[in-house]
Amino acid sequence: MTVSDVNMSAEHQKYRAEVTKGAGLRFISHLDYAALFQRAICRAKLPAAYSEGFNPHMKMSFASALPLGVRSESEYMDFELKEPLQGIEVYKKLGTQLPPEVKIKRIAMIHGKHKALMAEMDMAEYEVILPYSGTADDVHDAITRFKHAGEALFHRVTPKKTRDIDAKKYVRSIEYHIEGDRLLLNLAIASGSTGSIKPGEVLNVLNEQFSLYIEPYQADICRTAIKSGGRPLIELV
Amino acid sequence: MVKLPPDMLLRVTKPARYTGNEWNEIKKEHSGVKCLFALAMPDIYEVGMSNLGLKILYEILNRDSDIAAERVYAPWIDMEREMRDHNIPLYALESFEEISKFDFIGFTLQHEMSYTNVLNMLDLANIPVMSAERAEDAPFVVGGGPCVYNVEPLTDFFDLFLVGEGEEAILELSHAYIAWKEEGRPGGRRGFLLRAACIDGFYVPSLYEPHYDENGIFTHIEPLVEEAKPIVYKRIVKEFDKAAAADHPVVPYINIVHNRIMLELFRGCSRGCRFCQAGICYRPVRERKADTLRDEARHMIDSTGYDEMSLTSLSSADYSCLGNLVDDLMYDFRHEKVSFSLPSLRIDSFSVELAHKMQQIRKSGLTFAPEAGTQRLRDVINKGVTEEDLMTSVKAAFRQGWKQVKLYFMMGLPTETDEDVIGIAKLAEKVLDAYQEIHGKRGAKVTVSVSCFVPKPYTPFQWFGQVSMEEFERRQRLLKEHITDRSIRFNYHDAKTSTLEGVLARGDRRLNKLIYAAWKNGAKFDSWTDEFNEDAWRDAFAKTGIDPHDYNQRERGDDEAFPWEHTSPGVYRSFLEKERNKAREARLTHDCRRSTCTGCGICPTLEAHVIDWKVKNDCE
Ligand code: SF4
Ligand code: SF4
Repeated sequence: MTVSDVNMSAEHQKYRAEVTKGAGLRFISHLDYAALFQRAICRAKLPAAYSEGFNPHMKMSFASALPLGVRSESEYMDFELKEPLQGIEVYKKLGTQLPPEVKIKRIAMIHGKHKALMAEMDMAEYEVILPYSGTADDVHDAITRFKHAGEALFHRVTPKKTRDIDAKKYVRSIEYHIEGDRLLLNLAIASGSTGSIKPGEVLNVLNEQFSLYIEPYQADICRTAIKSGGRPLIELV
Repeated sequence: MVKLPPDMLLRVTKPARYTGNEWNEIKKEHSGVKCLFALAMPDIYEVGMSNLGLKILYEILNRDSDIAAERVYAPWIDMEREMRDHNIPLYALESFEEISKFDFIGFTLQHEMSYTNVLNMLDLANIPVMSAERAEDAPFVVGGGPCVYNVEPLTDFFDLFLVGEGEEAILELSHAYIAWKEEGRPGGRRGFLLRAACIDGFYVPSLYEPHYDENGIFTHIEPLVEEAKPIVYKRIVKEFDKAAAADHPVVPYINIVHNRIMLELFRGCSRGCRFCQAGICYRPVRERKADTLRDEARHMIDSTGYDEMSLTSLSSADYSCLGNLVDDLMYDFRHEKVSFSLPSLRIDSFSVELAHKMQQIRKSGLTFAPEAGTQRLRDVINKGVTEEDLMTSVKAAFRQGWKQVKLYFMMGLPTETDEDVIGIAKLAEKVLDAYQEIHGKRGAKVTVSVSCFVPKPYTPFQWFGQVSMEEFERRQRLLKEHITDRSIRFNYHDAKTSTLEGVLARGDRRLNKLIYAAWKNGAKFDSWTDEFNEDAWRDAFAKTGIDPHDYNQRERGDDEAFPWEHTSPGVYRSFLEKERNKAREARLTHDCRRSTCTGCGICPTLEAHVIDWKVKNDCE
């Protein structure tokens, strides 16, 4: 699913949408999330552009896949229509055909050439909420130690391979505050063509190697922004 | 309401099976309705979500503002373990409400090998598995679907069954329930069951008692109360054209078995294949009008965004206006990317032409079902198909560019000899030769798929004994030896599960304890080859002292009463007997659809008749 920049006929128009993925859909895989939009575009009767060939598919692309179990306030989708409809019209038509757990936040027409979303993004931001019974000092200590560590290796095991990833290479910032018995963390994680680390993996690293006393599996994680050069992707088009 | 631990779904495969929130899902406030109906399939989400009957009932029930219908399917093994470990009871996908809080849980019984899953789901829901042990406020457990033509092996577990089509009956049941509840539940649980027994099509097994002779052979069943009808006849929707369809089916996020629109062209099939239970039980044939179907197709595509539609029926190519309908549908959707398909092809060139027109090219190949390898045996089973028909069809297919053909057969049909078995291999070779004849070179691939015949109630073959497991395996080996060409792939069905199916299909009430024991031993997902627990069943037979051969291999006497004859599709026993005798002589019976009535008895019994638009000259 990539949007090609060449061979775009004159009237075709590309759009970029910032959309959400609510808690009720956080166990829908990335591919199934994409398919949801294809069906919604069909229902909305939008004149979707399709690829050429024997098995044509809708021209549509997404920014980096959201880990399973994470909700999002900021997902991105680029797509192409055969007619240049106004953004507001697309917004209205598509909006009524999306399940309640998916909302369009903003939609913009893409002008000029743009890299695919995957290539354009360099950072993803997350908000994490965890039950917490420790002190603010404990959190401060753990995060300070993480910041000063030379490396923080995370051992990633997938069915295909096992490898070590240095969390330090990707975690750009961690901010925290405590609200009653909850710990809130804001993570900014570098995320682009050279790979990335998942927010849940960062929590594991903090817990296992830096004595942050949390239960990572209880985390409510939400992606809050995807950026490029410090600006949300929707502002780039 | 059930709340899942946050990490639970991360540990199971395909967690989206368990979270609902799909497009077209209907959520209602429970405080605003009078009847909560859980529609259940004793199999996983992907199978349950593909069932047309459940889709239709979901919409019909939810259209009533007093009723909320929700969905529930069997959690896969990993999820079940998580649920049991964390004391999470079975819940409905819409509200996450516990199933035990519902008024009804309705299971569709699609095949015998799903029975242990019913018990397992009840147990997961904290509902007593035995209906006699259910508390006054427990849900009523109701069964429906094709297996209702012999539900005797399940009578301990269900409170009641619906025989036949549910469109009208399920609303009548729900309304009777609401009335009973509003009157203050007179007579308690049994009071409601007595009322339900008075609604046409409902069978309440606790109101009957079976009797056996000194040899343990079933003799008759005795209605114990006035409300219990001696015979419960199936319900049908007589004016099928007017029956509600599933216009707004729930659209799953994950891929399911039939992930497309199902447009139901007609109910019933009267081709009269003698092994086929559906062919008897869904009679008479009732078609929908082409215009109705076009409207429905439009609604369904608009409401779902699907780009694929299957023209579904027992033998879709028999739809009287099919050619026109396909043209019209293709015209209606010419600006949209919608593809159409037929689930099964009739063995003739009309079907192949149609498949070509619909461009069923991406599919793995064309599928035909000659069912038997020799003409003699095809005549025995009344499959009105000749070798010439098959050759004409496959040649037409090869000419249109297909290279792959799949052929379905059954093994162990009554009167089958080794010659018939070897005939399957010969037929497959002739199909390969046909390709060579057309294209002057080899290049076709043929898949031969062979299932094991299971004699079913209400078929002309209900008297016959089933072939033993060893014999099935011998015939499978024999066929394998005769398939020498490497362009022929041979798949066959496991004889172990087929012989067990043979026990359950023609079982009686004494099998309740067998099914219970098997489930206690850990049997579940019996239709899933990798999950089939042979030891659990072997031990259950031993413990209960039930001899499987009494049920599957034993040939029934001409005058023997059958334990399933009080839940009836309306067919005359004398008709089935006549068909059995004709089978022995390999004599054919014609299709009553566009010709004369062959006297099966269903139309007079149900006061219904065949509705076929070609006969009515109404194709245009
Ligand atoms: S064509 Fe034969 S096998 Fe198929 S549904 Fe009809 S009777 Fe059954
Ligand atoms: S009663 Fe006659 S017309 Fe009706 S289904 Fe039976 S054979 Fe066909």
